[in-house]
Order: sequence, then structure tokens, then C-alpha cells
Amino acid sequence: MIVRLRTALLLPFVALFVAACSTNVAVDMPTIPVPVVTKYPLDVAVRIPPDFKSFVHEEEVIGSSEWTIDLGRANEVLFVQLFGHLFDNLQVLSATDDPRDFTFDALIEPRIEGFEFSTPKQSQTEAFAVWVRYRLTIYDSAGNRFANWPVAAYGKSQKEGLGGTLSLQRAAILAMRDAAALIVSQMEKATGLSALADGPMATPPAAEEELVADSNAKPEGLTAEDSARAVFITGLGGFKK
Amino acid sequence: MTTPGKNIFRTTVVLASTVAMSGCITARMEDERQGLTSITDSESVVIMAKSYHLGNETEQDYITCVEEAMQRGQGKLHVMPHKEFIDALFPWFEPRTAPAETKGLAKLMARPGVAKKLSETGVRYIIWLDGDTERVDQGGSLSCAAGPGGGGCFGFAWWQNDADYKASVWDLQGQESVGSVSADVSGTSYLPALVIPIPLIARTQTAACKGLATQLQAFLISDETA
Repeated sequence: MIVRLRTALLLPFVALFVAACSTNVAVDMPTIPVPVVTKYPLDVAVRIPPDFKSFVHEEEVIGSSEWTIDLGRANEVLFVQLFGHLFDNLQVLSATDDPRDFTFDALIEPRIEGFEFSTPKQSQTEAFAVWVRYRLTIYDSAGNRFANWPVAAYGKSQKEGLGGTLSLQRAAILAMRDAAALIVSQMEKATGLSALADGPMATPPAAEEELVADSNAKPEGLTAEDSARAVFITGLGGFKK
Repeated sequence: MTTPGKNIFRTTVVLASTVAMSGCITARMEDERQGLTSITDSESVVIMAKSYHLGNETEQDYITCVEEAMQRGQGKLHVMPHKEFIDALFPWFEPRTAPAETKGLAKLMARPGVAKKLSETGVRYIIWLDGDTERVDQGGSLSCAAGPGGGGCFGFAWWQNDADYKASVWDLQGQESVGSVSADVSGTSYLPALVIPIPLIARTQTAACKGLATQLQAFLISDETA
């Protein structure tokens, strides 16, 4: 009887201790408003990579707790909504779909390359900040890589409440919205995408730079041509090593 | 049965307690006019925070407070909630893309659909808030203890908050800055404790919010002869 009572009394303390050592943040689905822009007259396919359906960032903050940030399908929702607003027609392909089975002017493959955050304790401010780095690889209808665009986004939210999970959640949503704003406002300048309305590239890149837009293609680094045409890095703070 | 004398005494005690229960606040509101302002019943204003991309840290609840305060009182104005405005004009008033100077307004208006959308919102003035509330000093010590027979606190603590905000007013019709209003409020809060702590809190941010909102109302409603 005494053992049971002791266990019952100890359990809440053990639960409290375990909870205090880790913080879980589940990010809500973002809602991107309809942008005030003219739609691109393009038929676009977007191929969603598997990690967009279940992205989880885990990090142990030194001197603090372990953070698990579950973005779930938020990235997928973000890009599908955004591209739906931007282009005349949008087809959503899964990672296993072969693009050669579909007809489009451009195929866009977004990837998430980095996710970082800072707590008020780390930044010595009253805010949580989130940095997300995406990369958009764009192929023409013939499968030539047309552009390779890194998009660095930043969101910041004042700390509210004790745990800060809501603030971090809001900072993550703001970072995703920041990426959307950057893509809408700079897409043409950074990639020259509207040129694909006239058909595939007239002069495909050199043979070694060619990428067939199939699901087995491996991501490659930036080429000099990409840098000249498509690289447009913005964002404050950058990424911590 | 209560007598008028008792009522007066009770009211005096309540008022005295209210005054005694708050800390000390000093406030200074200033405005700087660069152009004429006037606003009709069909026009509205929107309160926005300057971009955090530029290092601004204006608190979300301060913006909401100014929005609400400007819709009250004798000089109340129509205020469009900032979130609604930002969504309606996505992505042109996001922290990354919002114009930092009035020079950017002409370019923004030239974008397809933006001028029409702005006209639909009915917003005549954008008020950009910049600044924050910071704890600038603190001192004293306070300790509390509890035991089987009870508990209590003993000591004295104090802290000073400074609320420093500036509101820049842009006229969307004239595409120009018409001036700015600033609020500089300093408040010291005290926490004496003799068994029970008695907080004497200075509502610095609230004072800065109400002061700035009243000043902004007067600034915008000023007639054309100003």
C-alpha cells in the first residue's frame, strides 16, 4: 500500500522532470493569401519531396532543453498553395511520379536545405527566431535544368507565456510566409521563369550540366550559369554553423 | 442605510488606494508635422510595425493596443486591423517587402492590381510604429519563505521601464510622409513586502499606447488650416 502511494506521489514529479527536459512544437498549416500579382501563363508541375510531408527538426540547445519542431506537412501545403496562386495551371507530382508522363512548361522541385532557430536565451532578446533555407530547382519541359534558386527565409516572434512553444510556432509560420513573399516578389527577377511560356530552353546547358527531370536525379551544386541567372540570396542573420 | 458622508469617505478611500497602488510615470508626447492632414468618415487608417528585418522590435500587443485606443474617444477613427491589410495586399507589406520610405510608394502603386486593392481597403493613412518597451534599471531585494506554520515575504524591489515609440504617418493619397508622433514614457514600479507583497506597478506601455493614440487622433483630425 505504502509502495503504491509512494509511486503515485513520485509519478507526477518524474513526468514533470521529463517534460522539462524536452519541448515539442507542432507547427500549424500555413495559409498563404492570394497574392496581388498577375499569374504566370504557365502550366507548372511541382514535385514534392518525401521530407516535405513529415519534416521534423530536432536540436539540443546547450544549457537548455531538447527541442523537437514538427513541421508536418506545412512545407507541402505552403508550396502547393503558393504555386496554385502563381500559375495558370498546377499539377502536384509525388516523389515517385515520372515527370515524363506529364505535360508542363516547367517542373519545380522545392527542397528544404536547412532549418535553424534561436531562443531568447541564446539571442539575448525577447524573441524566438527561425531561419529556413529552401532550394527551388526548375526544369523546362525537355528536362533541362533551367534555374537553381536558394531561398533563405526568416521569421521572428516575441516571446509570450512561459514555455515559448507558441512563439516558436509563430516564428516558423512567419519564416514560411517570408519565403512565400520572397518567391512571389523575386521569382521572375531571379529565374526568368516566364521565358518557359515559349517552350523549352533554346540552348540547353553543357552536357555535364544537363539534368533529366526524373525522380532519380540527384541534387547538384550551383553552376556558374545558375549563379549568373538564378542565384538570389537574401535574408538577415544567415545560418549558424 | 448608507449616508452621503459614508459614500464620500468610501469613494475617497477607493481613489486614494488606486493612486497609491500605481507606480510613478513621466510621459512626453511630441509631434512633428510635415504636411496637412484630414480624414473623412469613409476613410480609415492602418497601424503597422516597422519590419523586424530592419531590427525593429515593436510588440504585437502594443500595436493591438494602439489600434483599439484609436477607435475610442472623441476623435475616434476607423482603423483597419493590420493583419487584414497585410493579407489583402500580400506580399507587398510583408516584413521583407514593405516599402521602407515613401519613395517606394510610387513603385508599389505601379504594380499590377496594387492601387486598386489599396483603394478597396479604404485606407488613407499608414502609421508605421517603431520602438519598444525596455527595462532600463532595477534594484532592491525581496525574499520569500514558507514553512509548516505559514509563509511570507520581506524586502523591497523596484524596476524602471522605458517605453519609447515613434509613429510615422504616410498619406497614401499624396504618397508622402505627413509627419510623426512620438511617445517617451518612463515608469518606476515598486514592490514592498512585509509578509504580504504590495505591488505598485507603473503601466508604462499602456500609458505610451494611450498617449500615442490620443496624439495621433489629434494629428490626423487637424483641419486643413493647421
